[in-house]
Amino acid sequence: MSINALLDEFKVKAATPKQQLAEYKAQGKKVIGVLPYYAPEELVYAAGMVPMGIWGSNNKTISRAKEYCATFYCTIAQLALEMLLDGTMDDLDGIITPTICDTLRPMSQNFRVSMGDKMAVIFLAHPQNRFEDFGLQFCIDQYNNVKEELEKVCGHEITADAIRDAIKVYNKSRAARRAFVKLANDHCDVITPTRRSAVLKAFYFMEKPAYTEMLEELNKELEALPVCDWKGTKVVTSGIICDNPKLLAAFEENNVAIAADDVAHESRSFNTDVPEDEECPMMALAKQFANIDHDVLLYDPQSEKNRRGEFVADLVKKSGAQGLVLFMQQFCDPEEMEYPYLKKALDDAKIPHIKLGIDQQMRDFGQAQTAIQAFADVLEMSK
Amino acid sequence: MSAVYTLGIDVGSTASKCIILKDGKEIVAKSLIDVGAGTSGPQRAIDAVLEAAGMTRDQMAYVLATGYGRNSLMGLADKQMSELSCHARGASFLFPEAHTVIDIGGQDVKVLRIENGTMTNFQMNDKCAAGTGRFLDVMARVLEVRVEDLGDLGAQSKKHVGISSTCTVFAESEVISQLSMGTDKCDIINGIHHSVAGRVAGLAHRIGVVKDLVMTGGVAQNRGVVSALEEELGCPILTSPLTQYNGALGAALFAWQAATR
Repeated sequence: MSINALLDEFKVKAATPKQQLAEYKAQGKKVIGVLPYYAPEELVYAAGMVPMGIWGSNNKTISRAKEYCATFYCTIAQLALEMLLDGTMDDLDGIITPTICDTLRPMSQNFRVSMGDKMAVIFLAHPQNRFEDFGLQFCIDQYNNVKEELEKVCGHEITADAIRDAIKVYNKSRAARRAFVKLANDHCDVITPTRRSAVLKAFYFMEKPAYTEMLEELNKELEALPVCDWKGTKVVTSGIICDNPKLLAAFEENNVAIAADDVAHESRSFNTDVPEDEECPMMALAKQFANIDHDVLLYDPQSEKNRRGEFVADLVKKSGAQGLVLFMQQFCDPEEMEYPYLKKALDDAKIPHIKLGIDQQMRDFGQAQTAIQAFADVLEMSK
Repeated sequence: MSAVYTLGIDVGSTASKCIILKDGKEIVAKSLIDVGAGTSGPQRAIDAVLEAAGMTRDQMAYVLATGYGRNSLMGLADKQMSELSCHARGASFLFPEAHTVIDIGGQDVKVLRIENGTMTNFQMNDKCAAGTGRFLDVMARVLEVRVEDLGDLGAQSKKHVGISSTCTVFAESEVISQLSMGTDKCDIINGIHHSVAGRVAGLAHRIGVVKDLVMTGGVAQNRGVVSALEEELGCPILTSPLTQYNGALGAALFAWQAATR
């Protein structure tokens, strides 16, 4: 396929999760919804089921979920519940509900109570202390519980060999996405912010081997192109999620390319591979979680050093970007509380940035478009 | 060499403003219509400024649109730019020593840092009406006074009344509560001005205030807000009779730059 045909296909896949869910079910497959963050999806794949990411929606408004949620719950979590309540995701056979942040923790119980017998609701509590033996053991215990619950849904044992195979499939996909992110920076004339987002978002809905095969084909086509001599400006994006095409179009309208990202829905989710040389595959999965670094959602025993802020500032410099755009998800406590530290690191490194308050229910981006345009002016003047 | 005329149009959320500039220096005509984006305001403001100058669109070497509704004029304007860049340029023209600009418009607040006449940093308010011109409109309606009278009425205040700056809806409830308790309207208005000032000062502190500090936008005409903000920031604020036209002025200046490039 040509680059444009591949990009069009990714765009369709990113925009049609419900249709794909229906197709999986028509094929007799079982499908598990996976909520943010860091659920061991490999176990779902190893069970022979299809994992589908649930990161809210840009096309829904919250109504039924208000019965369960306080106002200050982030919209990603509320819209996930909304789609579980309004029939959008009735075809799912189960969901995994990680509990890393203070919103997702109680939200997991809202999912459990509201779903009743409708589908399996699989609770997952990651350890805060990820590196010590007891932390790894806790993580393995939790993952074993997820595995057992998934076995009830799929009706058979999930073997160690199947998990090892799944780890390879996922690592291959992670490598392809990391390669794509680098190629997108080299070819930002072709891989615009909306296209970049669609390619990375499609991962959450497609079957992984098919996704990786398509992405590797795209990467190969991009590698064959000459590196783009970009005349506009470049930024690094940061935040939980920034997948709204209308908002991303504002970047394109102002010749702002995305050089790299520090986004939970994007690079943060595939920066760290699962070790393939570990004898026990469950330990391998636990070690991958322990190895994730520079993440606002995960406990860092050395947080007083502001390693994460410096990592992000360094990412901006290394990627060749002139600034950073932070998408601040409304009511996201971890991101809000971390912001002063990120700001300090960026200010110390003399990296300009803007913070855009976003909410998945937003339909008008006038203020954000103005800020992006003004930021492009500032970056252009400083070049 | 014949004179170069440029037109700057600022389509805000609550008002439409135009300025025609001669040779990037002299204001030939200006117009202001009290309705903004999505209304007949922009076209009426353009018609009014051209009529005031006795000129036609064809005589404009370059037309540049800015403001919330800037994209709606792309058939008429040669280019559109963000109002932040235009406010920075306009303020630098009016006050060459300006290093910080606070612009309180109908629905948002911006704080701009200027170095050598160019915007180098900025902060905008969150998506919330608190601290904006809309906040004052809502309060004026509740208090049954004209928004343009708020400054004079607030100046007659004799005691401090605290009004929260977190949310327009909460603040409106507080104002109604104060009215029901018989609190003097002038004192409530003074409290409202300090509420706006507190919110805006918080934003300004995020990028730091460097003198000269200039305030633009319609709210800069409210001396109660200006005074409360000076108190909050501990710094004198410069304003201009052209404050509401500042964005259009910046647009006309950028238009002149484009026309003579």
